[in-house]
Amino acid sequence: MIRIGNASGFYGDRLSAVREMLEGGELDVLTGDYLAELTMLILGRDRLKDSNLGYARTFLRQLEDCLGLALEKGVKIVANAGGLNPAGLAEAVQKLGHDAKIAYVSGDDVSDRFPEALTANAYLGAQGIAECLGGGADVVVTGRVTDASLVVGPAAAHFGWRFDDWDRLAGATVAGHVLECGTQATGGNYSFFTEIDARRPGFPIAELHEDGSSVITKHDGTGGAVTVDTVTAQLLYEIGAPAYLGPDVVTHFDTIRLDEHERGVRISGTKGSPPPDTLKVCLNTLGGFRNGTTFVLCGLDVDAKAALVRTQLEDAIGTDGLTWTLARTDQSNAATEETASALLHVTIKTADPKRAKAFSRAAIELALASYPGFHVTAPPADGTPFGVYRAEYVPRESVQWKAVQL
Amino acid sequence: MNAPLGAIAGARSGDKGGDANLGVWVRSDEAFAWLREYLTVERLKELLPEAGEVDRYELPNLRALNFVLHGLLGEGVASSTRFDPQAKALGEWLRSRVVDIPEALL
Repeated sequence: MIRIGNASGFYGDRLSAVREMLEGGELDVLTGDYLAELTMLILGRDRLKDSNLGYARTFLRQLEDCLGLALEKGVKIVANAGGLNPAGLAEAVQKLGHDAKIAYVSGDDVSDRFPEALTANAYLGAQGIAECLGGGADVVVTGRVTDASLVVGPAAAHFGWRFDDWDRLAGATVAGHVLECGTQATGGNYSFFTEIDARRPGFPIAELHEDGSSVITKHDGTGGAVTVDTVTAQLLYEIGAPAYLGPDVVTHFDTIRLDEHERGVRISGTKGSPPPDTLKVCLNTLGGFRNGTTFVLCGLDVDAKAALVRTQLEDAIGTDGLTWTLARTDQSNAATEETASALLHVTIKTADPKRAKAFSRAAIELALASYPGFHVTAPPADGTPFGVYRAEYVPRESVQWKAVQL
Repeated sequence: MNAPLGAIAGARSGDKGGDANLGVWVRSDEAFAWLREYLTVERLKELLPEAGEVDRYELPNLRALNFVLHGLLGEGVASSTRFDPQAKALGEWLRSRVVDIPEALL
């Protein structure tokens, strides 16, 4: 059995989680997911400012604090915090000292095939991670691997699975899917939160077995809960058809069996089949500039107030790229000012940064010249660039992962 | 009996590019037999009129249905002008809709 924990579900998750997981009980591997479609865009913009960046900087802060502790406890660290620059992050981790063996996985960057893109990264599987761990690495950082690979890689390395052991890989993928969003598996963001102590959920752990089955649990004494319901909730997160496609295996979510277990939930029965011939690519392009504001419309004549301010703003900057939404949150004859108010949201998306900025000025200039009771929830700032996401697919044999030991 | 769907069903939702996914599950076989029958694509669209093209998948082993709402988020979270651009609360919206639930399940 191998105990694989998670300490991060996104770039921005609980900073103290790495320490909590290392100090809270037994563990063999600690993983962290830092990448989402949106994160790749954020890192892409970081990298435009400084080519040495492009990785999740909070991970480095966590290792500054905890790398010594992890080594002392013999816990391996595996994270996709490398983002667009896994080599840069690996070097930065090495500079922390402690004589740790650092490795990284790259090869996911396919931006040369998509010249219009700010970022273009193929979702790699678990093989690079398994190779790094097989080579004795204490810390493995990667670029864009699938979230579940962070669990599949260590399990495959530990048990010596072949990468055509479809059912085992699928079992580990399910465990990885449960872990990848951190506390979303342990009672965070949970529909039946009133039935548990949801104040500070502990991060999840998968006890993986040689056959690919697992027990989902968490450290003793932590908050939240691991039940068939909390695990079901996370299994349903961000999935499509029951045949869940991945770079290593297709995992059949309609074969998963969940049972209550004394320490949490046992997962078994999962079937896998060979992966598709293509790899998915996360592609972000710069779409232009956006800006927005929210007008508060209080009391009487809400529709007429909305119509007036809309006409005024459109007269000033034109109608192109504007999206209006009137949310009738107002109640009639309300006993508080807030519940007497409706919200009128307006967003501008434009190729012209000057026009995105002019939007702010136009909105604010209406402050004494528009509907009675004019105010906004927050003044509009300068426009910001926005990204457009799309998925692309490339032949799997055209992408070669690389495992590099520093 | 009229009651919010969330009286018997949990839900979790999220984004994949411009699509949203919405998983709904219940906690007994009897409730799943009802949910499977009741919550068709047409019914989902009635309850969530903002939905456009919808795919529906059954996961009886989890007593769950999964819906993919195509194009709900435009061109993805960074570009979407929706109030909830990552569809995080789509499931809680669905749970708040009042539907006709057999009394035995409540």
